[in-house]
Amino acid sequence: MKATDTVLAELRKSATLPATAVAAGIAVLGCAGIALLNAVHVRDAPAAGRADLVGYTAPAEAVFSAAPLGAVGAVVLGVTAVSSEYAINSPGAGGGRQVLATLTAIPRRPELLVAKALVVALLVAATAAVALPVSLAIVHAVAGPVAADGLLARSVGAGIYWMLTALMAMAVTVFARGGVLPLIVLITNSSLVSVSVLLAKVTPLAFWLPDLAGMRLFAGDLVVGADRALDAPTGGLVMAAWTAALLAAAAAVLVRRDA
Amino acid sequence: MLTIDGLTKRRGGRAVLSEVTFRARPGRVTGFLGPNGAGKSSTLRVLLGLDRADAGTALVDGRRYRDLVAPLRTVGSMLDGAGAHRSRTARNHLAWVARSNAIPRRRVDEVLAQVGLADAARTRVGRFSLGMGQRLGLAAALLGDPPVLVLDEPTNGLDPAGIRWIRGLLRARADAGATVLLSSHLMGEVAEIADDLVVIAGGRVVATGPVDEVTAGYRTLEDAFFGLTGGGR
Repeated sequence: MKATDTVLAELRKSATLPATAVAAGIAVLGCAGIALLNAVHVRDAPAAGRADLVGYTAPAEAVFSAAPLGAVGAVVLGVTAVSSEYAINSPGAGGGRQVLATLTAIPRRPELLVAKALVVALLVAATAAVALPVSLAIVHAVAGPVAADGLLARSVGAGIYWMLTALMAMAVTVFARGGVLPLIVLITNSSLVSVSVLLAKVTPLAFWLPDLAGMRLFAGDLVVGADRALDAPTGGLVMAAWTAALLAAAAAVLVRRDA
Repeated sequence: MLTIDGLTKRRGGRAVLSEVTFRARPGRVTGFLGPNGAGKSSTLRVLLGLDRADAGTALVDGRRYRDLVAPLRTVGSMLDGAGAHRSRTARNHLAWVARSNAIPRRRVDEVLAQVGLADAARTRVGRFSLGMGQRLGLAAALLGDPPVLVLDEPTNGLDPAGIRWIRGLLRARADAGATVLLSSHLMGEVAEIADDLVVIAGGRVVATGPVDEVTAGYRTLEDAFFGLTGGGR
């Protein structure tokens, strides 16, 4: 059995899971929807006599302020890639969980986790490659040209941020062995109330936490607290270090645990 | 050949397995018999690399399961039903399993036909009946055309025709040289098919050997089962 067989099997498994389509849908439609709302706002601001708002709602910001929804999609993708293994089949069909089929087919667990991580990263990248250009196109059509300055870097940055978010969600789900808790906690944190953002009001150390560290990968200068956040390269590396540490811990747990 | 030697496992201070030792030989059907909770599934889970033992070894042709190069081409197994996610179709489930062990894609439809699920290939597993789930689990076990079969309670939920069919299938496999190990808590179904018996009770093997040896001195296999496992009082 070659490692490529493992990766291709996991790719087929994840790509054909309905939850994966839902996750990609959240990211693409969510980003596009928010971008559209923002773009309408940007277009109407001068007409409403609020030209002062234009600075805060430049076309580029209309795109990247939608990025948290992409992170939500990434969380769903990362969580369900693992939680689907532990979901119990309907009682009428005899119960049972997919993880037994997975671990008998791919008994080397570190290899399995690496394959899953690669697949999740790939699917998030593919999602970002659709969601961001679509959002850009919408803003361009509604609110006019988006300044090209830094656009590519921020787009790639947003994709990397989503990817790392998905991988961390995946690792956390390995510990939890179920999707409900990780989904609630991580979606709330990335969309409604960020614990890290609240902590950042108390201590600048909060900017080293996993979700805040990488914010400058895509967030512009106007995001609250951005002036104190880690710069994009440093923050990206800190976030990647968190991801690597969580995946290593997940591998250690997975190897030692009874299926 | 399956070689189980001195398997010992504790869970929460309780001994689940104590020095479990037996062989399952090629060309023979070995019935792994014992009441519920006796340690049958725990033994099979250790053998398949799913759970860890505190001591002892479980080897497939001299190797640990997790060291097998393409495990599904060596050992076909079924534990706990289909092992498929409820939102997948039967074909879709078998397709990723096949891919993981570089098993040709055509095998998917072959095994679906073999277990009688050709018409349900596009049905979501969540809508399966218990018997269909068992058949899908069996299809996955047969996918790699393995020389060893390890099946936990394979007749669970099958109708009499299904039980008769699986008996014929396992007999044919063993006659062709395969090693077949099947667990059951039903002595009747094991009596019909097994060549050798391993009887386990309370995590300990209480008898092993050819069926007539193990049951010698008892009027029926059922008497032997209750006599050996200390149940039925």
